[in-house]
Amino acid sequence: MVDGATAGLFLDAAGMKALGAAIAIAITGYASAIAEKDIGTAAIGAMAENEGLFGKGLILTVIPETIVIFGLVVALLINQ
Amino acid sequence: MRLLERLWGQKPSRKSDKKINGTSNYPYAVTRVRAMKSKLLPKESYPRLLNMGIDEITRFIQESEYKNDVDELAMKYSGGDLAEHALNRNLALTYDKLVRITAGELNYLIVAYLKRYDIWNVKTLLRGKLYNASVEDIVESLIAAGEFTYTSMSELAAKATYQEIIEALKYTEYYPLLQKFDGTNLAYIENELDKIYYTGLFEAIGKPRSKDRKLFVKVVRLEVDVKNLINLFRLKKAGVMQLDEIMPLMIEGGLELKPEKLAPLPYDEFVNELQRTQYWDVISGVTGPDMTSLTTLESRLTRYYLESSTILSHVSPISVLPILDYIIHKNNEATNLRIIFRGKEGGLSDELIKDQLVVI
Repeated sequence: MVDGATAGLFLDAAGMKALGAAIAIAITGYASAIAEKDIGTAAIGAMAENEGLFGKGLILTVIPETIVIFGLVVALLINQ
Repeated sequence: MRLLERLWGQKPSRKSDKKINGTSNYPYAVTRVRAMKSKLLPKESYPRLLNMGIDEITRFIQESEYKNDVDELAMKYSGGDLAEHALNRNLALTYDKLVRITAGELNYLIVAYLKRYDIWNVKTLLRGKLYNASVEDIVESLIAAGEFTYTSMSELAAKATYQEIIEALKYTEYYPLLQKFDGTNLAYIENELDKIYYTGLFEAIGKPRSKDRKLFVKVVRLEVDVKNLINLFRLKKAGVMQLDEIMPLMIEGGLELKPEKLAPLPYDEFVNELQRTQYWDVISGVTGPDMTSLTTLESRLTRYYLESSTILSHVSPISVLPILDYIIHKNNEATNLRIIFRGKEGGLSDELIKDQLVVI
């Protein structure tokens, strides 16, 4: 007897969960990469002129990392 | 946003922007240039500089961003010459650095803008040779920030006559015009060189479609307006009214002013006409009939131009504007320093020097 919710799909519930988690991680990872790319190059540009900006540059560069952390949290919640 | 822009970049409406190879790394270049701008002399330092003698000024700039330049040239020159050479060398190196750290579209626009120093150098060479200045004097005034290198410029300066210089510039875009130079029409050639520069710049920008180019062209047009306006005031002050005398001195492509309409008007009507423009707020206080000197007016207009470019660079922070803004402000700083130590050298009063400065 096939479950109504999964009828016509290739994956069962566990498979869909895994796929959902993968999408959550992949897209947020990609998003933070795009955000960090611009901030990182900008930080390097500023550092090239003024080395004292290393600390600030580093912090600003990793702020978009929160996006992928949210993705990770969502992935973990999905798989609970 | 940039990702979307890149995808949209393929659409036909962008075709009028000339195709540029390579990609511009805007965040890198813009932040680096902003950091460089923060190192320009603050306005508090100008009153201090005014109280110093020439050697102290040289010492002061040696302790600032000009250290390497002063150190390197201190063996060869001294006093005002040392400061002049250091300024020119620093300007050339800074602009060269801007060209090095940018790529693609940014680089293309900056190189097109910096051609003004090629024009400056060609003018200096011709003027120097015409009035028999020594090779050292000519080399002192060269700023190798454009496409011509310092070495090639020095070689040109070492040539005996202006004919030889013009012959050596055979393969440049200025040659057809320079051929007309016969030793008597220097003013005409200089004006035409300026016009060639602006025509070339507008041509390089093309029909602006991207936000970048639109703002870039706005700043250039504003500069043209400011230059035309200053020239118009000078001409009106000197009593020149004929259209055919004024128009050859005007540069085409201004933002708001129509020189052909303003040129034939007498002074009062000319000033009235200006009330409708954006420049009126800036110049309203200094255009009265009892105006004796144009210095205040000129420095106010220049200040307005500098401030406008800064405002526009904030409107579009990730674009070519902050870099253009830096180029303009750096140039202004060099001009200010030059005014100070040349003024001191010539024994001008502090008050007179202060009037000439454009301090932002």
